[in-house]
Amino acid sequence: MVNLSEYELDVARKRLGRDPNPAEVKVIDALWSEHCSYKSSKIFLRSFPSEGPRVVMGIEDWQDAGAVDIGDGYAIVLKVESHNHPSAVDPFNGAATGVGGIIRDIISKGATPIALLDMIRVGGLRDSRNKWLLKNIIAGIGFYGNSIGIPVVGGELSFDESFSDNPLVDVACVGIVKKDKIKPSVVKEPGLKLVLTGLTGIDGLGGASFASRKLSGENEIGAVQIADPFAGKIVMDVTLEVADKVEAIKDLGGGGLAVAVTEMANGLGARVYVDKVPLRVKDMSPEDIIISETQERMLFAVREENVDYVCRAFEYYEYPCAVIGEISADSVIRFIYEGKEIASLPSELLLSPPLYAWPIREKARKIDVKPNVELEQAVRSVLTHPDQASKEWAYSQFDYEVGTSTVVKPGEADSAVVSLPNGKLLAIKGDANPDLCAEDAYECGKAIFAEAYRNLAVVGARGVAAVDHLQFGDPRKPEIYSNFVDAVRGIGEAARFFSIPIVGGKVSFYNENKNGVPIKPTPLVVMAGLVEGKLLKPKVEEGALVLIGYTRNEMRGSLFAKLFGPHGEVPKVRLQEDYLASEVVLDLINQGIITFVKDVNRGGLVGTLMAVLSKGYSAKVDPDKVLGTDDLMAKLFSENGGRFIAITNSPESVVERAKRRGVIASVIGEVKKEGNYLEIGSRKLNVEREVEHYLNYLEEELSD
Amino acid sequence: MKFPGTTCDYDVLKALGEAKVEAEIVRYKDLDPDRYSSVVIPGGFSFGDYLRAGSIAASTETMKMVKEMADQGKTVLGICNGFQILTESGLLKGGLLPNLKMRFISKWIYVKVVRDDTRLTKNLPKKVLRMPIAHAEGRFVLDGEEARRLMVFQYSNEKGEVSEDYNPNGSVLNIAGIANEEGNVIGLMPHPERASFPLTSVDGNVDGLLLLRGLRW
Repeated sequence: MVNLSEYELDVARKRLGRDPNPAEVKVIDALWSEHCSYKSSKIFLRSFPSEGPRVVMGIEDWQDAGAVDIGDGYAIVLKVESHNHPSAVDPFNGAATGVGGIIRDIISKGATPIALLDMIRVGGLRDSRNKWLLKNIIAGIGFYGNSIGIPVVGGELSFDESFSDNPLVDVACVGIVKKDKIKPSVVKEPGLKLVLTGLTGIDGLGGASFASRKLSGENEIGAVQIADPFAGKIVMDVTLEVADKVEAIKDLGGGGLAVAVTEMANGLGARVYVDKVPLRVKDMSPEDIIISETQERMLFAVREENVDYVCRAFEYYEYPCAVIGEISADSVIRFIYEGKEIASLPSELLLSPPLYAWPIREKARKIDVKPNVELEQAVRSVLTHPDQASKEWAYSQFDYEVGTSTVVKPGEADSAVVSLPNGKLLAIKGDANPDLCAEDAYECGKAIFAEAYRNLAVVGARGVAAVDHLQFGDPRKPEIYSNFVDAVRGIGEAARFFSIPIVGGKVSFYNENKNGVPIKPTPLVVMAGLVEGKLLKPKVEEGALVLIGYTRNEMRGSLFAKLFGPHGEVPKVRLQEDYLASEVVLDLINQGIITFVKDVNRGGLVGTLMAVLSKGYSAKVDPDKVLGTDDLMAKLFSENGGRFIAITNSPESVVERAKRRGVIASVIGEVKKEGNYLEIGSRKLNVEREVEHYLNYLEEELSD
Repeated sequence: MKFPGTTCDYDVLKALGEAKVEAEIVRYKDLDPDRYSSVVIPGGFSFGDYLRAGSIAASTETMKMVKEMADQGKTVLGICNGFQILTESGLLKGGLLPNLKMRFISKWIYVKVVRDDTRLTKNLPKKVLRMPIAHAEGRFVLDGEEARRLMVFQYSNEKGEVSEDYNPNGSVLNIAGIANEEGNVIGLMPHPERASFPLTSVDGNVDGLLLLRGLRW
């Protein structure tokens, strides 16, 4: 099960000056796994902007999660994680443990988790295995999130064949904490006791190592952790209760105790008495205890005089709690079992794995011929693509109202909004676009960041912090590594442009199916923002339809191109247009001029209009009024950024206000409560069946 | 009342504050029944809802004390998992089975008040309330005649019309909540505390407060 290369073993040997024993090899493997050490990505991640006036704790500190000041003495903590590999093998437990893991990252900052987002990507539902995966992924997320009482308030669900066998299961969590109560995950002084809660079992053995290679297709179920949300709830409640009395908190994630202790010691040493670890099953070997990734465990660094207080709080709920060792001054991580030292490794060796920058090679791009598609067919195909369907089937399985803070609920707008204890409103959204990234990961990196920014604007919010998750195939393949580097550059560039710090992130490589076919590159951005003026809960009503922003004939990577063949140019991201158009939207919301606004994205103008049509309204569009290109298909289906559609009763005022900021807006049509039609110029299409499909597709595909 | 696994304790406390009911959260081992005039058992997954929803909590010492409070005529309200605990412990008749669709359902629904002789509904005859449900085991079952007599809330449409179309989980007679004969022990699946704040409530309604105000002493 060990994943270290010969070269890496050799590095370890040289730096140790001796051969590591088998237990030590397992510890090094856990620490140096791609999953824990970011060895193929770290040097590029350093290029992200992670500073800013609001940043309280950023990536630089290598904490479990970053924190951002939101005023009134409060900070939010934001983090994104995935459980792709485990979800491919055991979707219910894989997805559930993903939720548990991210929640513990948040509470390890002493913050109360207040909202979850989940971003799911699977293969098409014609395949019964994909159906099975999706059903169990959603059920697993619900099982954990509902039981622990943190609302899932939004997310994404989309489909692409490259995710067959290898679904992407991302989950993001936001927490809130008083700024002066934030806990570090690392210690600065020797002598602190290491207190471990929870039972250690044989599930999740070598999980980090497992996630650092491609799926083998063999039975890997032992590497999946089993979720226990009830235990998770106790851990959460009690951790927040005792946070004031501990010096540092760390979640036991990838690499188990080996990684948690080493990272918490942060260059200092530690002595861990492995036989003190409370076990779920008898007769576990000490090596397995050290690397087990059993969930619902936390590690605390505690002053000796507070140990009783901490453990008594857990014991109220009959939850195990034990002192397993202490932080030492000697910079050596020691695991001791029955009085014998079974592993003794310098912190420095464990914390500095070999870093790689693999060769890159750009994929040559072909400009294919524009497909010859009839208008009606294009409209109906785009409107009935599974990505467009209502996600109610999924989010109705989540307890999205728990916490009585969900202001804009799943499916209501491009972002979710939750209320904070200080009365402020926080908007959150996650965005990815694998089809675009497969064409140009650099433009795509910028595009998803800009999209998240626009998505926040439609509810009246400006972004304040972001986290990212970079998901790719094998980094040693030059074209894949090239995508990775491009995506990092794109995201970093956009983050700098918007002055939004990236306060945390994750990289997940080796997302390939058992035949070695990689997923489409899927970087993902999760952004949080604050509603500074008025909140808008977009509501479809009769009125004039206004398009804000230019439409360009850049069709590559669009849903249209996915359906009818790749062609044309990749959309170039003009961040200035995204920013200015978002400012216009915020202005219109604060002036109360619009009742509905939505970012133009998937499926272009037509795809975006589904949000209007699905409410039982008719929409009329005059293509001549769509500015920026003469190509009819591009007018209707282009997915270039910087655009919104809005419904208003004073269209002239919208156009005028846009103009004042240097943004082009045009009245392109109207929305009426007469029948269920989409009118494009002189063509009037009845879309009742498409709306029916929108409402029922997932329910019909996924009900027993 | 907070059992291990209770998730809605703070929400209920917040809503009771909004309803001007003096209240505090009590952990399950710490209950002193003499101190309180009423007890609310909020939603969640008590003891992980292992075995069957509410069954482990139902057999705790705490519930014996809650039963004493009920016998003294104090008000006992069970919301969602609290309702499950009340039926499992025998404080209320009937039982709650998995939803007909066999999955968790979260959505806003309407319920009609059909019994106005309980502590919570005495001023609300025939009133239609909008609240959210969020449960996996909410299919209420009880023999027809008794169910008809004890039911307090029925799933309905906006106008108060009761039919199978508005039954989210397959409950007998569309029952969303019942009470004991005396009307001081009440259980319901919808969450009144989630319909107590204009900001987070659908369409800004605060129908939940109409019920929670019944706990004022």
